[in-house]
Amino acid sequence: MPKQKYIKPIIIRHASAGMANKFGRPLTAIPTQRIEGIQIQELAANYGSPLFVLSVRELRQRYRELHRAFANRYPNFQIAYSYKTNYLKSVCSILHQEGAWAEVVSGFEYDIARDLGMPGNQIIFNGPYKKRDELKRAFIDGAIVNIDNYDELNVIESLADELGKTLEIGVRLNMNLNNPPWYKFGFNVESGQAYDVVRRAQSSGKVKVVGLHIHAGTYIDDLTIYQKAAAGILQFYQSIRNQLGVTLKYWDLGGGFASRNTLHWAYLPGEQTCPSYSQYADAISSTLMSIGLPPNEMPRLFIEPGRALVDEPFSLITKVVAEKRLPSGQRAVILDAGMNILSSVQWYKYGIQTVQDSGTMVEDTVLYGGLCMNIDVLNANVSLPQVRFGEYLLIPHVGAYNLSQSWQFIFLKPAVIAIEDGEVKVIKRAETREIVQAAEELPDDFRF
Amino acid sequence: MYEFKNELTMSKSGFLFDHSSGQTYTLNPTGKLIFEKMQEGLDDEAILSTLIEEFEVEAHIARRDLEDFIRQLKEMGVI
Repeated sequence: MPKQKYIKPIIIRHASAGMANKFGRPLTAIPTQRIEGIQIQELAANYGSPLFVLSVRELRQRYRELHRAFANRYPNFQIAYSYKTNYLKSVCSILHQEGAWAEVVSGFEYDIARDLGMPGNQIIFNGPYKKRDELKRAFIDGAIVNIDNYDELNVIESLADELGKTLEIGVRLNMNLNNPPWYKFGFNVESGQAYDVVRRAQSSGKVKVVGLHIHAGTYIDDLTIYQKAAAGILQFYQSIRNQLGVTLKYWDLGGGFASRNTLHWAYLPGEQTCPSYSQYADAISSTLMSIGLPPNEMPRLFIEPGRALVDEPFSLITKVVAEKRLPSGQRAVILDAGMNILSSVQWYKYGIQTVQDSGTMVEDTVLYGGLCMNIDVLNANVSLPQVRFGEYLLIPHVGAYNLSQSWQFIFLKPAVIAIEDGEVKVIKRAETREIVQAAEELPDDFRF
Repeated sequence: MYEFKNELTMSKSGFLFDHSSGQTYTLNPTGKLIFEKMQEGLDDEAILSTLIEEFEVEAHIARRDLEDFIRQLKEMGVI
């Protein structure tokens, strides 16, 4: 008689674990065996674990959907991809292939965009700290510059003298839109500061205000915040148009759109609470369109999405490297990926999917990262089947911020691959010790 | 040989009922087999032999899992 398939023995006490909750049976019990048609085990065997995997199809599809949602509602619209969310060259370049402009917040990011071949006049340069030489280059290139503070305005006015021409600028605004409001950036509308800076800029003759910029926050799933932001920018424009004679070329509503990940403090899963692209587009466009200008006189609308484009198309393959039972009775699983490469775990309660068939019976499990550091917890309580040493798990929706914010700490950073039409391409090789130590020097005096 | 703290009844599907506390549990097929062998009075080594005989599993994995399972039963106050 053939032997039965073995699954680790398990007993679940019903009051605390294993029962279906009001959201139904946990999805973690249903294995995800492939990404874009390719076996996950094969990918890990060929490219190592942990491993970031990009679905190029999904990235392109998301861009197209987002673009369509806004372009259908607003006549003169352009997406500028927020580089800081994930500035892997391939990610930026694919989005530029699709038609995105670049939104950068440092000279480093600006250089990435230019090196990719983006013309300066398709780069939006934002952020609270832009160096003088970076600003100079941006103005010479014809980039769109949104100013953040008076000191920057002073620098730009001196650049106008140096370059011998009037420089066009956008002004970043802040308003009381959410809790806590993002007052760090730009000039406050309610206090009159924003009006004053526009008046001061216009009167100098050295700069000309042609744009307004606002960015209310990050992971915003409350559409009323976008309605208020759009209403606020519209009202502000009406006041500077009527009183200071400003004519805008663009208004920039920033980004901050949510993804389907779930925040730690959220009651409902992100899959249920994340607004659709059309809902964001409605919230912003319907308010701006109420200005009542003919379509050809409407300022161009920019949005600067990052997370909403790149979070979902990336997954992380990770391997179980140990399991243990805690004194509390809870099962613990240690993975080869830690918060060093998954920094968003501070905000997200990541969903976890099994790759192999590990049975349907789930147990509450704490998932630890592999760092020798107590805070390295990837999920404090996830219902997981009996995954074993050496088996793989999949963490979906990891494309936003994790790659640009990952720390070089204890372990080397993993490779990143992209899959399109069944073809796998390495878009970032796994880090080596030589790469990590390339900038270091060991003076002879310190040798032993 | 293991001693069970309360009177327990298990169904064919692995649903376990504690008559004293009203607490209920679910065991997967492997857990159910081990539990039944414990009720029959088998010791760890005999249970291990049964597992290896009936399932596709290497001895060192079965031993590790059995230890973990018994620890769970103790933590839950079943034995």
